Amino acid sequence: MLINHLQFAWHYFKQEYRQPHQKLLRWVQAILMIFIITLTLSSNTIQHYLHNNLNNLLGADAVLTQKNKLTSKQLTSLENFSENVVNTLQINTTLTFNGKWQSTKLKAVGNDYPLQGELLTSLSLQSPAIATYAGPATGNVWVDSRLLASLGLSIGDSIELSEQEFIVSRVLIHEPDRLMEGHNVSMRAIVNMSDMKKLAFPLDLIQHSYLISASKSQVKQLIDWQEKQLPAAKVHHKSGAHPLALFWQRTENFLGLASIILFFMAAIAIEQIAQVHLKKEQYFSAICMSLGASKATGLQLSLFKWFINILVLIPVVAILSSAFHWVVVSWLSETFVELTWQLDVWLTAKTIATSVLLFAVFHSPVWLTLYQTSVSKLFHQNQKSISLTLVKLCALVVLVLVAVKYSDNGLLTLMLVSSILITIMLIAFISWTVLTLGEKCTQQFSGLVPFTLFMMKQRLLSKSTQILGIGLSTFLLLFTLMFLKDLGNTMASYQRTHDGNLMVSQASEIEMDAIKEWSNKYDVNLRQSKPYFYAKVVKINNLTLNEFTTKPSDSLATLSKSIRLHWTQALPNTNSLVQGKWWEKDSENWQQISLEEEVMTDLGLDLGDELTFIIHQQSYNFTITASHVYKPGSGSIIFWVQMPQTAIEHINAPQYNMASLELNDDQWPLLGELWKKHPTIRMVSLQELTKQFDSILAMITKVISGFALMIILLAIIVILSSINALESKEKKKNSVIMSFGFLKSTCLQLNIIEWLITALIIATGAIAGTYLTGMLIYQSQFSLIYQPDFLILIITLTIILSTVTLLGIYASRHSLKSSVKELMVDV
Amino acid sequence: MSCSIELKNVSQSFESYVSGSKSSNSNSSENNEATITLFESLDLSIKQGQSYAITGPSGAGKSSLLMLLSGLEKPTTGQGHFIEGNHSSTLDNLRSEIGFIFQQFHLLPELTALHNIALPLKLRGDKQAIKKAETWLEKVGLSNRAHHKPSQLSGGEQQRVAIARALVFSPKFIFADEPTGNLDQHNANEIADILFECCKENNAGLIIVTHSSVLASKAKNIYSLANGELTKVTSNDVDNEQQVEEGQVSSC
Repeated sequence: MLINHLQFAWHYFKQEYRQPHQKLLRWVQAILMIFIITLTLSSNTIQHYLHNNLNNLLGADAVLTQKNKLTSKQLTSLENFSENVVNTLQINTTLTFNGKWQSTKLKAVGNDYPLQGELLTSLSLQSPAIATYAGPATGNVWVDSRLLASLGLSIGDSIELSEQEFIVSRVLIHEPDRLMEGHNVSMRAIVNMSDMKKLAFPLDLIQHSYLISASKSQVKQLIDWQEKQLPAAKVHHKSGAHPLALFWQRTENFLGLASIILFFMAAIAIEQIAQVHLKKEQYFSAICMSLGASKATGLQLSLFKWFINILVLIPVVAILSSAFHWVVVSWLSETFVELTWQLDVWLTAKTIATSVLLFAVFHSPVWLTLYQTSVSKLFHQNQKSISLTLVKLCALVVLVLVAVKYSDNGLLTLMLVSSILITIMLIAFISWTVLTLGEKCTQQFSGLVPFTLFMMKQRLLSKSTQILGIGLSTFLLLFTLMFLKDLGNTMASYQRTHDGNLMVSQASEIEMDAIKEWSNKYDVNLRQSKPYFYAKVVKINNLTLNEFTTKPSDSLATLSKSIRLHWTQALPNTNSLVQGKWWEKDSENWQQISLEEEVMTDLGLDLGDELTFIIHQQSYNFTITASHVYKPGSGSIIFWVQMPQTAIEHINAPQYNMASLELNDDQWPLLGELWKKHPTIRMVSLQELTKQFDSILAMITKVISGFALMIILLAIIVILSSINALESKEKKKNSVIMSFGFLKSTCLQLNIIEWLITALIIATGAIAGTYLTGMLIYQSQFSLIYQPDFLILIITLTIILSTVTLLGIYASRHSLKSSVKELMVDV
Repeated sequence: MSCSIELKNVSQSFESYVSGSKSSNSNSSENNEATITLFESLDLSIKQGQSYAITGPSGAGKSSLLMLLSGLEKPTTGQGHFIEGNHSSTLDNLRSEIGFIFQQFHLLPELTALHNIALPLKLRGDKQAIKKAETWLEKVGLSNRAHHKPSQLSGGEQQRVAIARALVFSPKFIFADEPTGNLDQHNANEIADILFECCKENNAGLIIVTHSSVLASKAKNIYSLANGELTKVTSNDVDNEQQVEEGQVSSC
């Protein structure tokens, strides 16, 4: 019997294969599956790569890093957990040669380096790499090939660093503990450990790393010891997380959120297509039942047919997603070196199965209707049941649950979902208002426009679904494109609006004095300078960060490193207060802080929560009493965490400064003088900054363009499926109109007017929704000022109007092919 | 000015790709293509203000003949004319002067009875559309159902609305395709009376395609279309058929 039903289902599947609703359904499902599978396969490749990378690039079984040198007691304890410990030092500095300078990550190693893995160097850029078993000799420096090229160095050249001479003796090819540098793009150099004393860098700027060989149980003991004794330190180990893992997880979450938007659109499209399915299958099932078949037969046939439809898609989807996976891996291999493409059949199958399950949820109203169908439905069609609404609600809940699971940045997710909901309500309101008022105002008039308004008002419910589907797609597309454009414009205009063209991100007090002296001497405009301490959050409400939250976010990623803690008497011009109360001038209660609003939201913090900071090896507790946000227009130096000025009397730690300077073209070469004396001043020019922005923008452009393409494809399918859903009604309406003595051209005119009104409502709703979303999200999430350009808005309106109208008319061409004859019985 | 529709020497045939045996009216070609001829050399004149019934078996081409008369389809051979007084023109000029009534009523489900009737007037830009629709609702005896949607009306009531909708814009000719085919005998009689009365009152020509000899007998001119030939039938023939029909009904 089952085989019989399968054969039947195959027969009907073949018959319906070319029908528009089946074609549309296949398109939606294929596009979404290809996207999801490509995303999953790419993510998995990177996870796999990161795991292998961690094993090969740690250079030790475990690495402990912290800002300060371990005391001899701490070092003894550490040696208890390991067989061998190797110490390395690192500092960010600037190397100068022949008037050129380059910021560099300088590492100091002893003769016991490396602990595990291979240290590779070469005697020239062209020579082959050779394994080296100790660091450079005293007075020598090894530099990587990029640094060599950037400063125009040759092997044997002498360079000056903190007024000390160093001979460039080798090209640095590979460090086995390279992973510890977090795959950053800084240029690299190595000197001997004993030279560090001569260089006399400020001790608090040196990062100490301890490479440890240890068994798994020893690593476990080490972690316990570190958590208790050195909470501000960090331990990386082979079975732990890759430093890039958190970054990648956040990227994945962002993509996950993006795919939720696509799922929302697919759900809209499938819902529209299901309306046609529902009628056809219900009719077919009722006919079967009237011929003596059981209810289960109709249901089984429908399920088989749907499943065959998916099965036919799977080979195409699998081949295409593997091809796209290959393209993505090739693109990502620029960032993740040695990333290779591999076929993963099991993961592909699992992802297909999950997608199919979700599609089944979206399609379930059809099956529920079939389950409820009876022969009497042949006489009374279009009966809507409450349970059908419930199933649709369930599908919505599934979508929301998936959205919540993928949410990374709580505030952004909430804002995006709220924006979607607001836009839905807005479009519904605009539809209702335009159609109701339009119909009321034109009641006294007759003609094609009043007639169209009248008909649309009468069909408000079905028309609203169509408008909402297309409107939401247009809104998502518009917002994505607008965001891309505005981000690009902001990057481009950064040079004009930025406060100063040289940013100092870290200068000790002595270095700051030197900067002031240097700027006075050469008449350089020092715009701003603001002091801070380095502080690390170790506990929130007495729980460690890992205990407090497991959700990855930008805020958590930043807080797990040292942050800049600023002090101030009054609320800075660059901030505005969001909640709480700013402290009084000279407040005696110095243990209070104000946190940036996004950090509060991401970590779920409230006023009154207590944060424990380690500042210069001392622990301090602070209570959150206020929350602030960035206020543009008064400078660009801003801090996430701020405390009262009176706090500095109670904290004994080195102070640093952030500053901004404005240099003209003649003053840039004078920087070399400053850097020669103070190589640890961390400065970045706007040119470098914009270069970084450009590369980020290029990546964002690629991602958003791909995403926009997906949205455009799905938006077209939503439009087509919404038209397909109403096609039979439209066809009948046109035939009836022609039976009143009108020509096909009248129906076409009515169609054009209807699509123009529809497009007008959609465009107004989408633009208003985009505006609201811009107001909501831009400022708080991307620190962009949202200033809608009305010319652009009018152009957008025109584009949406013409595109939706043309697409609508093109897609409605079938319903215009109707004739009076079709209404007759005996044709 | 009185108008009429004239078909002269018209024939209608179409290509069919369905394979099958060669019938008396078809010429099979090698590729299973068959030319099916519905009727040949047919002449018919329809005058405004008069009623016509076309009967015949299913598939004889009654509806196709209706399409030719209304100018919605062109004959394979022969010509159709629309004559207004002394002026003769093609049937294309007839388009705005005709209304249709269908067996399945084909009311728009989203609109109330009143708005369904007002539909053709609204499309024509008539400012009195609703007022005229109300008058017509009264004429067909449905004043109290003005704000009901088609799903809330019985079959008979729906057909009354359809009749009012077809006549509200005063067309010169009404084409009705099995207008009582979906109704019981009692309702069918009532609808037929209303239809004939309204057409008469509006001086509209009424052309009905039907299987029902009862309905056909109410028309002044009765034709039978069978085996490709249109023959005029006398009311006696129809009465006989009617008696047979009633006998069949009573013996059921």
